[in-house]
Amino acid sequence: MRPFTRRSFLQRAGGVASAAVAAPILSTGWLSLARADEKGYFDSIFGITDDLCRRVLSTALSKGGDYADLYFEHTIANYVMLEDGKVNQAYGNVALGVGIRTVKGDQVGYGFTQDLTPESMLAAAATAATIADASPNKPAGEFVTPKLANHYPLERLLTSVPLESKLPLVQSLNEKCFARSPLVAKVNAIFHDEQKRVMIVTSDGIRVEDLLPKNWLMASVVAAKDGKREQAGWHLGGRKDFSFYTPALIDEIAREAVDRVVVLFDAVQPPAGEMPVVLGPGVTGILLHEAIGHGMEADFNRKGISTYATMIDKQVAEPFVTIIDDGTNDGLTGSLNVDDEAIPGQKTVLVQDGILRSYMHDRISAKHYKVQPTGNGRRQSYEHFVIPRMRNTYMLPGPATPDEVIKSAGQGIYVQDVSNGQVKIGEGDFAFYVSQGRLIEDGKLTAPIKDVNIMGNGPKMLRNITMVANNLEMSRGGAGFCGKDGQRVPVGFGLPTCLVKSMTVGGVKARPGEKRA
Amino acid sequence: MNKELYDLAQWSIKTAKAAGVDACRISTQHERFVEIQYRDRKPETIKEASTKGLGIETYVNQRYSAQHTSDLRREALEDFIASAVASTKLLAEDPYRTLPDPRYYEGRPNVDLGIRDASYEALTAEERHGMVKAIEAACLAKGGPKVISVTAGQHDSRTESIVLTSNGFEGVRESTTFYAGAEVTIQDEGDRRPNGYSTASAVNRKGMPAPEQIGTLAAERTLDLLGARKIDTATLPIIIENQNVPDVLRGLLSAMFARNIQQKRSFLTDKKGQKIASEHLTLIDDPLIVCGLDSQLFDGDGFAAKKRTMIEAGVLKDFYVDWYYGRKLGWEPTTGFPSNLIVPPGKRSAQEIMKDLGRGIFITGFIGGNSNPTTGDSSIGIIGKLFEKGEPTQAVAEMNIAGNHLEFWQKLAEVANDPWPYSSMRTPSLVFTDVVVSGV
Repeated sequence: MRPFTRRSFLQRAGGVASAAVAAPILSTGWLSLARADEKGYFDSIFGITDDLCRRVLSTALSKGGDYADLYFEHTIANYVMLEDGKVNQAYGNVALGVGIRTVKGDQVGYGFTQDLTPESMLAAAATAATIADASPNKPAGEFVTPKLANHYPLERLLTSVPLESKLPLVQSLNEKCFARSPLVAKVNAIFHDEQKRVMIVTSDGIRVEDLLPKNWLMASVVAAKDGKREQAGWHLGGRKDFSFYTPALIDEIAREAVDRVVVLFDAVQPPAGEMPVVLGPGVTGILLHEAIGHGMEADFNRKGISTYATMIDKQVAEPFVTIIDDGTNDGLTGSLNVDDEAIPGQKTVLVQDGILRSYMHDRISAKHYKVQPTGNGRRQSYEHFVIPRMRNTYMLPGPATPDEVIKSAGQGIYVQDVSNGQVKIGEGDFAFYVSQGRLIEDGKLTAPIKDVNIMGNGPKMLRNITMVANNLEMSRGGAGFCGKDGQRVPVGFGLPTCLVKSMTVGGVKARPGEKRA
Repeated sequence: MNKELYDLAQWSIKTAKAAGVDACRISTQHERFVEIQYRDRKPETIKEASTKGLGIETYVNQRYSAQHTSDLRREALEDFIASAVASTKLLAEDPYRTLPDPRYYEGRPNVDLGIRDASYEALTAEERHGMVKAIEAACLAKGGPKVISVTAGQHDSRTESIVLTSNGFEGVRESTTFYAGAEVTIQDEGDRRPNGYSTASAVNRKGMPAPEQIGTLAAERTLDLLGARKIDTATLPIIIENQNVPDVLRGLLSAMFARNIQQKRSFLTDKKGQKIASEHLTLIDDPLIVCGLDSQLFDGDGFAAKKRTMIEAGVLKDFYVDWYYGRKLGWEPTTGFPSNLIVPPGKRSAQEIMKDLGRGIFITGFIGGNSNPTTGDSSIGIIGKLFEKGEPTQAVAEMNIAGNHLEFWQKLAEVANDPWPYSSMRTPSLVFTDVVVSGV
């Protein structure tokens, strides 16, 4: 348990984590024996049979729980970093374990173990069972496996990609960054890949496995000019096959990273206070994530602590606003073939034509609201129990053109890139940090701006979206994650260019003609 | 000392040497924890587990990598270590990558830091549940009819870790941690439902506040948020409440790490010995505080722990220099990361100072925001209370402060007398003048 009310998004492009958890660069051996399309990984490698699962589930229900599930995980992650021109750092992490959850009403008992022996699993199940205090229940006699779509097919397992194939990615990225501008002083280039195998077994008779890849390539660049320094970065990735990382893609990352840092030397301070804000397409979808996404996670509404708790079927935005949370986008960071409590991946319309239509549910909240789960039950790892989380959250395109939107803003700011955000669920107040943008003067983009925090209120901001353009872009970054209740999960988002008629822009500079107390 | 963990670490060193390392550092950990949350006067979640893990840093032909695993089956570990060593050999040579000179291991203080509560094992399920119930009850009582939801909880853990290196370092750390808190949601005007919370942490049960105090404070802090709105953009004095000071202090700290300096990502690179803040700011890093949450006898490199003054009367005295980046910079290492951080308290309470300031904002929380370690530019959302004529008058939200750290810390006008004791960052409330607070 950790504080509490704040839910936040953070992406890594702005800098490099100093204490990176990265990967043992395991390239051979038993870990890569199984194929991507092979079923029965946990049975064949760890001896997790149906009979054993039934025994563990029986123990988890031994004190009268309504429902129980087992979440087996084997994750192998690798992380190589180039610094000062050399790929001289590599990190790795192997996570193996099982989490056992017992649910009684809306109460949760949870135990986990890293030791996949029957004795350890039964002991963890006995811990989870203590949430209930009644006569034993029994799990289903047989398990069935639902047919799933595959939104992240792999040509080869990431664990079978040798380190020798990864090193040239970061070396090439480094070279291309330095070639792009003489102002480049330092480059950190990083390739991260992660292969997570999971198996979920439920007391209502589902046994399902998934293999989730996640990877990204990033450049973080420092440039120097006239005694000043600036930094910026760019990354691309998602749930991709290794073949995603082509020379053209490396060119794109280098170009974006370097151009984004060089422009900062010309950045000016925007005026502070309320003004129109135009959100450019793509990564600015973080606005949806903070302003509406977290507030629409059903656990907050079930408990009555979200500002959206009474807004279902109410008009919350203009009719041209439709907002989706989607697990079915091919290869995006937040996509899921199946969620972490065995509900198949799906698409959920949160706001349709301006009307709030659905929360994002896990099994507990779906039962509370007497609706079907929406496939939003997620967890960071076997050490955590499921809670409702976003996947890929985006707004559908609208009728305007991007130029029309910018022109309509008159005087304000244009947000191009965002590094992080945060929301207070009950108030709906949120903030997001603009790492790149432009001033809008007389309806035109002018000087670059940087390092500006923007504040708003979710429901108010939704009502204040007065124009939406026809250029939806999904963020293609792979390193973004969302934090909630001490758990991090990868998420994605997208946005077309849109105009919010008023938000508070942080800064110190006065607006033209402004008099201050 | 946990013999199983020690033997595992020793076995791993032997296995790594057999696999071809020149040097290695092994760390093994074991943690047991219990976590309980209550809502609606019944358990909402109960979580309990034991975890183990092994980390290995391998040095082969001046090449380096670091790995961690929770799969401690011996046959899996043998594969893990062998693969790690083989892969390390594929990386680029880096002459700065070595284990530290063992002379830095010497001089480890022989003191009891008091970071392990001997009564931990005696803590019962009934006591844990009783504490959480008491937090919830106090919170509900103080919050009154406006309360929509209270979640109260506690987390306690016992951790043992052992670090061994192939060049003779041996370190053991055994600690306990206690954490408790409550989160409250209340009904405001319209659809607005302010969330507030109060939490506390300590290494022993005696160091924790009474459960009733946690619950009551959570309710009070949430009630203080009622009716929040933004006010006109203005230049005002601000008081940052003690427990929220770390959120702004971290922006300064990030520029003090040797890695950021060596990588040209620090706005403090050339500022050692210079005045980077007003004379009111002194910052002490003290790993040897008895019962400190981040107290330690040795740091991540194995260096003997030592109290250091990082900033003295506004003058930057030291950086956080670890072994590796110290070698890259050609600097004498200090320690790589902060331990307990102390800002020495002043003489007056925040309330007394408020009376002198007249009109300003008392900041009780931050939202979003970021700080750029390369330039020092920072911008962050604020939550708090407008005070006028020295008295709180209006809750504020959707507002922001911004600036550059090199200018912002020069505006520090006074340090209050109220260091927050339930954190490893024991910071008092800080008073800044002439800060632009943006709103309407």
